[in-house]
Amino acid sequence: MQSNVKQSPSLFKSALSRIVSDKLSLIALIVVGIYFFVAFLVSIGVLAADWGKEVAASYAEPSSLVWFGADIFGRSVFVKVIKATETAVMLGIVVSMISMFIGAGLGMLAGFFGGLVDEIIVWFYTTVSSIPGIMLLVAIAFILGKGTTSVFLSLGLTSWVGLCRIIRAEVMKHKDREYVQAANALGASNSRKLLKHILPNVSHLLIINFTQTFDSAIKAEVILSFLGLSVVGRPSWGGMIDDAKLELGRGVWWQLGAATMAMFFIVLAFNVLGDALRDALDPKLKGK
Amino acid sequence: MNIYSYVLRRLLYTIPVLLGVCLIIFVLFNLVAPDPAFILLGKHATQIQIDQLHHELGLDRSFIVQYFDIVKSSFTFDFGYSWATKQNIYEMIKNGAGPSLSITGPLFIISNIVAISLALLVAFYRGKLIDKVMLIVSIGGMSIPSLAVVLFGQYYFGYKLGWFEISGYERGFPGFVPYVILPVILYTFISFGADTRFYRTVILDEVYQDYVRTARSKGLNEMVIMFKHVLKNSMIPILTNIIIQIPTLILGLLFAESFFSIPGLGSMTINAINNSDFPVIKAMTILSALGFMLFGIITDVAYTMVDPRMRLK
Amino acid sequence: MTEKILEVKDLVVEFRTDRGAVKAVNGVNFDVFKGKTLGIVGESGSGKSVTALAIMGLIPNPPGRVASGQILFNGKSLVNMEPGEMRKIRGNKIAMIFQEPMTSLNPVFTIGNQIEEVIELHQTHLSASERAAKAVDMLRLVGIPSPEKRVKEYPHQLSGGMRQRVMIAIALSCEPDILIADEPTTALDVTIQAQILELMKKLQKELGMGIILITHDLGVVAETCDTVSVMYCGQIVESADVKTLFNHPAHPYTKGLMDSIPSFDSTSGHRKERLQTIEGMVPSLFNLPKGCNFQDRCSKVTDDCRGSQGDPVLKPSKGVDHNVACFNPLN
Repeated sequence: MQSNVKQSPSLFKSALSRIVSDKLSLIALIVVGIYFFVAFLVSIGVLAADWGKEVAASYAEPSSLVWFGADIFGRSVFVKVIKATETAVMLGIVVSMISMFIGAGLGMLAGFFGGLVDEIIVWFYTTVSSIPGIMLLVAIAFILGKGTTSVFLSLGLTSWVGLCRIIRAEVMKHKDREYVQAANALGASNSRKLLKHILPNVSHLLIINFTQTFDSAIKAEVILSFLGLSVVGRPSWGGMIDDAKLELGRGVWWQLGAATMAMFFIVLAFNVLGDALRDALDPKLKGK
Repeated sequence: MNIYSYVLRRLLYTIPVLLGVCLIIFVLFNLVAPDPAFILLGKHATQIQIDQLHHELGLDRSFIVQYFDIVKSSFTFDFGYSWATKQNIYEMIKNGAGPSLSITGPLFIISNIVAISLALLVAFYRGKLIDKVMLIVSIGGMSIPSLAVVLFGQYYFGYKLGWFEISGYERGFPGFVPYVILPVILYTFISFGADTRFYRTVILDEVYQDYVRTARSKGLNEMVIMFKHVLKNSMIPILTNIIIQIPTLILGLLFAESFFSIPGLGSMTINAINNSDFPVIKAMTILSALGFMLFGIITDVAYTMVDPRMRLK
Repeated sequence: MTEKILEVKDLVVEFRTDRGAVKAVNGVNFDVFKGKTLGIVGESGSGKSVTALAIMGLIPNPPGRVASGQILFNGKSLVNMEPGEMRKIRGNKIAMIFQEPMTSLNPVFTIGNQIEEVIELHQTHLSASERAAKAVDMLRLVGIPSPEKRVKEYPHQLSGGMRQRVMIAIALSCEPDILIADEPTTALDVTIQAQILELMKKLQKELGMGIILITHDLGVVAETCDTVSVMYCGQIVESADVKTLFNHPAHPYTKGLMDSIPSFDSTSGHRKERLQTIEGMVPSLFNLPKGCNFQDRCSKVTDDCRGSQGDPVLKPSKGVDHNVACFNPLN
């Protein structure tokens, strides 16, 4: 039992040292770090607070003055991209949290208690996963209506099934292991066993899942923007890309280009990082 | 357990799942969603008008009855009429399926051939330069948002260079061909990264198996080993991934269809969302869930056909 | 004197790793004769399987390669042979069976298909129906009951012992000159082990091939081999005919291996008082000591062994064909 508590941090430590020693993963980690830092600066008002200000003519071309040009209202595309970084990072984190809360929660309950609880949870996620993700996403977002909360919820509610499945299987494996049996013998309560003993042993799956959910949340936001169901009152990369459907015809490519690039690098970095984490933390899952 | 009782059991399990799907749709559209009266009648409707509409739509009946209406429609395919176009939804779907399939069908075939060939190629040359280049290209491709690909592709290849049709549709073969070429190319690009990487892992899982060593010790050349021994074993996960795509084919392509003005189910869904056309969205959700469940069973049965180990169980 | 069909001279196989290059096989010499069985004995990691793969030309490259030395098959060099030509020998003139019968057959092809495949490849003059008939004959030859039925079955329908028989059938279907058997019985039950070894001996008599039997089990060696080479850390430390080796082991490592067999003492026929083990651990290939590789585990170790006299080389001990690489051989 003691050894297991010790084991997980050392696993993370060794994973971290492997990632740092691999050049590509290290770069990916730095890229993610920069995005998060920018998002942080935006959120405390240091950066891009004046994103709504008109700084140039409508659709001004990129120049030394307005780096990535201006949008229809003459707002700087560069500043909008920075502001949208906050939206994206927030979206990624909140959606991952929601999906983690539902997925890990239900997965642990199903795996730990088995029996009827398991059957119901399995039925529930089979049902949810029977509706193609994009249809369910669209349906929920549509029902909840426009707005930031609705985006968070619709993305969160549609991205937990994969994690739930994996956690359920892992917990089933772990609950018969000696250290849980030992905790049993000591009279530990169910919640204590789950949170103190089993959770640390499946936490690497949460981290791997975080990188995936983060990525897919950012990408799915583009779809919602296209359907007019995304965040309101603040710029988002998806919204900027969506604007391009009216702009491209006039040769205005910079909003599309800037938002695509901004998205490209963080999604790429998370992809690389996710792979590296998977290899480092759980060789079994490789490529799945 | 023989295959028939297995299929039967799988079919039986779709019943609670289908009831669950209907429950989700009921909760979303009949409980959570805003009152359709606001959508259809606007803000200034009188209470009498609202009551009358509720009665027409059957919303004044008990929840149980409303729920079973949804369940019933998933068996009869009688989804009622669109609020926006007043057409029979079943007919709308029938009309939209053709144009959708004329893009998704070729796309399905071409993108899978591309992904599997590339995966075999990079698995064959694993660790070599081409493998590394493909890895970068496919992760890169996966990281570009698909809407950006469609927008840029339509603008650049269609509008700017004028190589392809960018809008419109003509029913029937070969009339539709010019209109679907660009969407098919763009979506092949969108999907190849993830598929190639998945297939590569699947194939590489097999490359290090003992039976491959045996095949080498027989004196077979690497091509035969790859295409005969390895490919047949990797077919199982590859097949799953392929079959599970099929139900999404009938959903159409949300972006491409509306951008290229193709009157398929993707456009229909988007119009329905823009018009708050509940019955159409409901119908598409039920239909796609049915497709997923059906092809889930087909995948499992296909397993047993490829893998002799499953046949006897 | 029987005909020499395979000659391995000063073979060195290197693997490149993150921690530098290691010599998994370091200067190995042995000969294989027609109709005779050579045993290669050693613990896991001693380089015996790598030696076998080197003969087959199946060292995964990269990271591995034959760095130096010769492998002569009927006088022809197999090292750096053109791949197409090597494929004509592999499975045809030199065949191999492996330790893992459960996983060595392809699960999605029938037994018959997998036997016919090798026949089709190397015996091009046979027609499809002749190949099918031969597959049945081969199964009958390796003692599989109702072979006509079995050819249509898949590997998972057979037991481990039966699968190893199928592997032998595949290996022997082109009547090879040499059969390399890498731990062929390790994964099997004891009674099945004996059957498989018996089968190999019987087929050797019928077909007259030379066998290289790789094992960690001296009991298996005693039963089946004519000559034995003992490997330790990529080198042969002792080689002799089987009787000499068992009666007069000269290398302390060989002696140690024999003392750790839980059976009757081969010389006296009495049950041994106590099971003995070799103290210590096999040194890492990354970190071999100077001098004799066995020094840290050896009871007879002297200063000579620690590098002052260089590395021990394999040289004749008392008997004519009894070679040992030791500064203080026993007896």
